[in-house]
Amino acid sequence: MSVGFIGAGQLAFALARGFTAAGILAAHKITASSPDTDLPTVSRLRKMGVNFTVSNKDTVKSSDVLFLAVKPPIIPFILEEVGPDIEPRHIVVSCAAGVTISSIEKKLSTFCPTPKVIRCMTNTPVIVREGATVYATGTHADVEDGKLLEQLMASVGFCTEVEEDLIDAVTGLSGSGPAYAFTALDALADGGVKMGLPRRLAVRLGAQALLGAAKMLLESEQHPGQLKDNVCSPGGATIHALHFLESGGFRSLLINAVEASCIRTRELQHLADQEKISPAAIKKTLLDKVKLESPSLSVASVNKVSLFTNKNKKN
Amino acid sequence: GAWSRVSMEASELWVGFVGAGRMAGGLVRGLLQAGKVPAGNILASAPSDKNLNAWRELGCRTTHCNLEVVHRSTLVFLATKPHILPGVLEEIRPAVGSHHIVVSLVAGVTIQTLQRLLPPWTKVLRIMPNLPCVVQAGAMVFSRGNNVGDEEATLLKSLLSSCGLCEEVPESYIDIHTGLSGSGVAYVYLFAEALAEGAVKMGMPGALASRIAAQTLLGAAKMLLETGEHPAKLRGDVCTPGGTTIYALHQLEKGALRATVMNAVEAATNRACDMAKD
Repeated sequence: MSVGFIGAGQLAFALARGFTAAGILAAHKITASSPDTDLPTVSRLRKMGVNFTVSNKDTVKSSDVLFLAVKPPIIPFILEEVGPDIEPRHIVVSCAAGVTISSIEKKLSTFCPTPKVIRCMTNTPVIVREGATVYATGTHADVEDGKLLEQLMASVGFCTEVEEDLIDAVTGLSGSGPAYAFTALDALADGGVKMGLPRRLAVRLGAQALLGAAKMLLESEQHPGQLKDNVCSPGGATIHALHFLESGGFRSLLINAVEASCIRTRELQHLADQEKISPAAIKKTLLDKVKLESPSLSVASVNKVSLFTNKNKKN
Repeated sequence: GAWSRVSMEASELWVGFVGAGRMAGGLVRGLLQAGKVPAGNILASAPSDKNLNAWRELGCRTTHCNLEVVHRSTLVFLATKPHILPGVLEEIRPAVGSHHIVVSLVAGVTIQTLQRLLPPWTKVLRIMPNLPCVVQAGAMVFSRGNNVGDEEATLLKSLLSSCGLCEEVPESYIDIHTGLSGSGVAYVYLFAEALAEGAVKMGMPGALASRIAAQTLLGAAKMLLETGEHPAKLRGDVCTPGGTTIYALHQLEKGALRATVMNAVEAATNRACDMAKD
């Protein structure tokens, strides 16, 4: 089985890295394409042994499972471009936030009567094989197609099938989730530093604390509330600290965050459905122009920038 | 010795109350409802008849003489106001023997103080009940003094279990119990009132809303007690994805309800500690 990535940015790199590390796919069985060869991820993909090309059509021709790993507004253009090359064997997997299966199927139907489409929502920790992925199968994707994707994505973390209408909520929770965690870790480290720890140690310990807690929860039958109680000795340090968290409305902030991300994903989807961006040939220069003209693009970048092709992304 | 051996059968126990106010009244009603002690075996004293009338209506005997209560009872509950107690203890001290079991309901008065003001051989216990003892759904904690053995502690616990939950604890927990459950009952009343008000705002008549609010609290508490599940789990069980409950809970979290409740328990506990020092 060969896998292709349209787009050679953070998402493509993360998945390619994860699949090869898991041993589920050899690097030479992976192809990635992008018009932009300056992306830092391009050279990294090459170093891994992944086949890199500037031709999206080449990627399609040499893959069975085709990941669309570009920013959501670019998806329609990609589909226009590679549509004619899609064959019955292809499984088209879109990882784009807010892009519906029906919009993809509609675009492809002009070229292919029964395109196999799967919509997927994953997250950056696939890079360390601790991703959280959900997928929903389209009209013409069989059970086996779903299972094949599930196998692939399970090699880089947790993967399960869901109904498509839940995907926006998943985006809000585990799609954006790593960002919440990074923010929390930064702040926890600050707390450690304030109380006298060297920064590096503080970061290391904070990360390990969250990692350990998450692992305990995943491996336990117990409710997180119970696990929390288990840490709180009466009158002790932890319960004093928790009181502060509660006073600050910690829980509601997290609920708000998940809600905001989910709602924003839906908004972007609606904007995309209204096709505010006029169709145009995709060339590298036009990509930049589109970014500047479209309001949805400029704010799309705050939503899931790490997953998508972004030549300005710092590492 | 033989002096300290008394019948521990509740039905043969002579129970006295020094002070006949609300808390004492709650306890005695619970005891009587449970049929543990015949009303005729109960003697209560108070300076005026104001409270004692109610006790007589229950079938208890009454007096204005504290010493009489001590003379005629084995189990003596001290239920006076805190500032009255030292005077009362001085008064009854001569009559207190090693056969007595003295149980203080007086808020803020420590076992150390009680033992200091009573004869050195006295069996002293300190209890903190709460108001729902009246309806046999109270929460009580008690601690024992130096001379109290398991027999007396067990007797008290079994007697008072008729009024609700009754647990022995280290004395340091008593102020916390005040903050959690003694005052806690008032927090629940506040919450019930607010629930009902919300319903009234949405169009339900007040009386009906109040009854439903109370039943909701009762039912939830009953499930907590009977299933033994963690409240967070029970909460999760009620929350259908995207449903009404999770929307409502989000509002509660936004209002930092949890922290506010923690603040309340802390404030009441601290106040109990401070008052005890006075």
